[in-house]
Amino acid sequence: MQSFFQTLVSGLSFGAVYALVALGFSLVYRTMGLVNFAHGAVLMIGAYVASTFYLSARLPFAVAVPAAMTVTGVVGLLIERVLRPLENKDFDLMLIGTIGAGTVLEAAAIVIWTSAGRGVPSPVRTAPLTVGGVRIPPYDLLVIGITAVAMVALALFLQRTKPGTAMQAVAMDHEAATAAGIHVGRSNAIAFGIGAGLAALAGALAGPMLYVSPTMGDSLGIQGFAAAVLGGFGSIPGAIAGGLGIGVIGAFAAQSFQGYSDLVTFVVFTVLVMIRPTGIFGEKTVNRA
Amino acid sequence: MFRYRLGYPAAALAALLCLAAAACSAPGSSSSSVAGGGSTPSGPIKIAVVDAQSGSASDLGQFEYRGVKLAVDQANAAGGVDGRKITLSLFDDQGDPTVGTELARKIASQGDIAMLGTAESAVTLAMAPILASEHIPNITSGQSTKLLELNSPYLFLNGPTGLTYDSTLAKYLVQKKGYKKIALLTNNDSYGAGEHDAFLSALKTLGITPVADKVVPQDQTNMTPALNAIRGANPQVLFIGAEEAQSGLTVKQARALGLNAVIAEGAPAGTPLYLSTAGTANAEGTIVSSPYLGNDVSDASKKFAADYTEAYGSAPELHGAKAYDGAQVMIAALKACHACTGLALANAIRAVHYDGLLGSFSYNKQGVGIFATSIGIIRNGKIEPVS
Repeated sequence: MQSFFQTLVSGLSFGAVYALVALGFSLVYRTMGLVNFAHGAVLMIGAYVASTFYLSARLPFAVAVPAAMTVTGVVGLLIERVLRPLENKDFDLMLIGTIGAGTVLEAAAIVIWTSAGRGVPSPVRTAPLTVGGVRIPPYDLLVIGITAVAMVALALFLQRTKPGTAMQAVAMDHEAATAAGIHVGRSNAIAFGIGAGLAALAGALAGPMLYVSPTMGDSLGIQGFAAAVLGGFGSIPGAIAGGLGIGVIGAFAAQSFQGYSDLVTFVVFTVLVMIRPTGIFGEKTVNRA
Repeated sequence: MFRYRLGYPAAALAALLCLAAAACSAPGSSSSSVAGGGSTPSGPIKIAVVDAQSGSASDLGQFEYRGVKLAVDQANAAGGVDGRKITLSLFDDQGDPTVGTELARKIASQGDIAMLGTAESAVTLAMAPILASEHIPNITSGQSTKLLELNSPYLFLNGPTGLTYDSTLAKYLVQKKGYKKIALLTNNDSYGAGEHDAFLSALKTLGITPVADKVVPQDQTNMTPALNAIRGANPQVLFIGAEEAQSGLTVKQARALGLNAVIAEGAPAGTPLYLSTAGTANAEGTIVSSPYLGNDVSDASKKFAADYTEAYGSAPELHGAKAYDGAQVMIAALKACHACTGLALANAIRAVHYDGLLGSFSYNKQGVGIFATSIGIIRNGKIEPVS
């Protein structure tokens, strides 16, 4: 029983990071109908910026993370601005453009920070809590808590603020939204910027759990993408459910299947998606018909 | 219709002519490179450096290139080889054996007479047959014993084999320290699988059966489930067979889980990357088997570290030191045979006796030049040789 709960706790911790990644994917898809393949690379940039603020500039972690989200949010705005001309001309090219943007970001990270990665010490130095023989690192609890706050904050933003409501309107019908005086380009830019900020938050929180390197966005991006699909692409609660689901499935697969855990995780994912192709909460996106 | 009927025979004739041309000449071969009778007496000496410059192994690739470049820059500053400068061509194998095979063909066609790299045994294994057929000697940082099974006269290692690392470590743990309950956690890439087999073999020779033996995927970041199972076996020692970052993560997660076994590992644990990923406190007491225990163990390593730091702004580690030694062996061979190529250069490498940072190099028929490692222990973030 101890083994079951220990595995569950580790799965939820990593799942929280995947959920943050999935939130960023889902936000952009929900408002623009675009799968942003640069999202993993943006996460990596956020992790590097946060670790630079924390380790080199010696800012407190609680300051380094929002600072990194701001800087990386600007990167997201730049990507959207560069790709915006393609949006109404050839949407497929815009999607391919995000792949190119990801490659550029990875190369830029190697130029700026070199290809040698860095370990980030945990900002929470207290000993793990022990509950019924299950050890829970306090930092993991922090990550889960921040993920929950991020989900609530995003949901409130979309439902209770003017820019958020405008994004919802653009997602429903961008021509009608334009007719109502909403600047679609600006709305999409905000979506990209917030998505990049969420990616940076995921990267910054993942740094102390993992290892910051130019390729860290690859596997986290894939896990987050799978989480978004599993939960329902474009769904905010779906991103959380999908992220935690992928994390827990991966943890139990690692326990039982060792070197084949990745294979098993994605076989289970494939079966679940075949049973429910639109994900747990259903797909939510702009109508581009 | 007439043009349509003529098209097929013409195409068939063209194809036959192409096949005949390919059969008549092996790409890159020439009598001079096979016999190694001597190189063109002027112009730079071209050597290829192949390592990951992107992808998950890119940090190793950067350390390696810096070590090679330092050795070559120093040699060129001292006059080169018979007055000729050495030029390096850097190729990115992306840590991918398929890319490696493409690069092997490219190196042959571009006139590089030798190759330094790669850091990954899997890529080196893929490239070796092509390099051998092109008569291009290669000094690699790979350590898998599978490299020796190729029996290539053109392939040399710049460090000990994995078996040497692990048999030395196993003997220290079992015979010197008396540990009997040993657990293994390795990854499933070529390095981890090699470490698993080599360490297991070494334990069996000493009459020890592991109390736990877990394998994780090479890019696994959550080792807690595997570590939790190992914790249940209550081992005295946890042997890790994985690259630097994954090893550090494993140790960090092991300590968070309350698994306080002594950590034992080969070369990756002797690097700054392992220390920064694991954390200084978690890495305390790690037992390391490595031929390069640090930058201040000898006058030669101190000088190397000072030169490296001046050139690149950061301190070197094992991979840079291995690559530096490998490049020095290549330079010594080139000087001895007056910049020869092909089999003559390979024979010259085999004849080199060189006192390097990792030890005294003296190559055998299988291309191994170093046959011992040292045991160190990490104390306060630094590796100290055990007495």
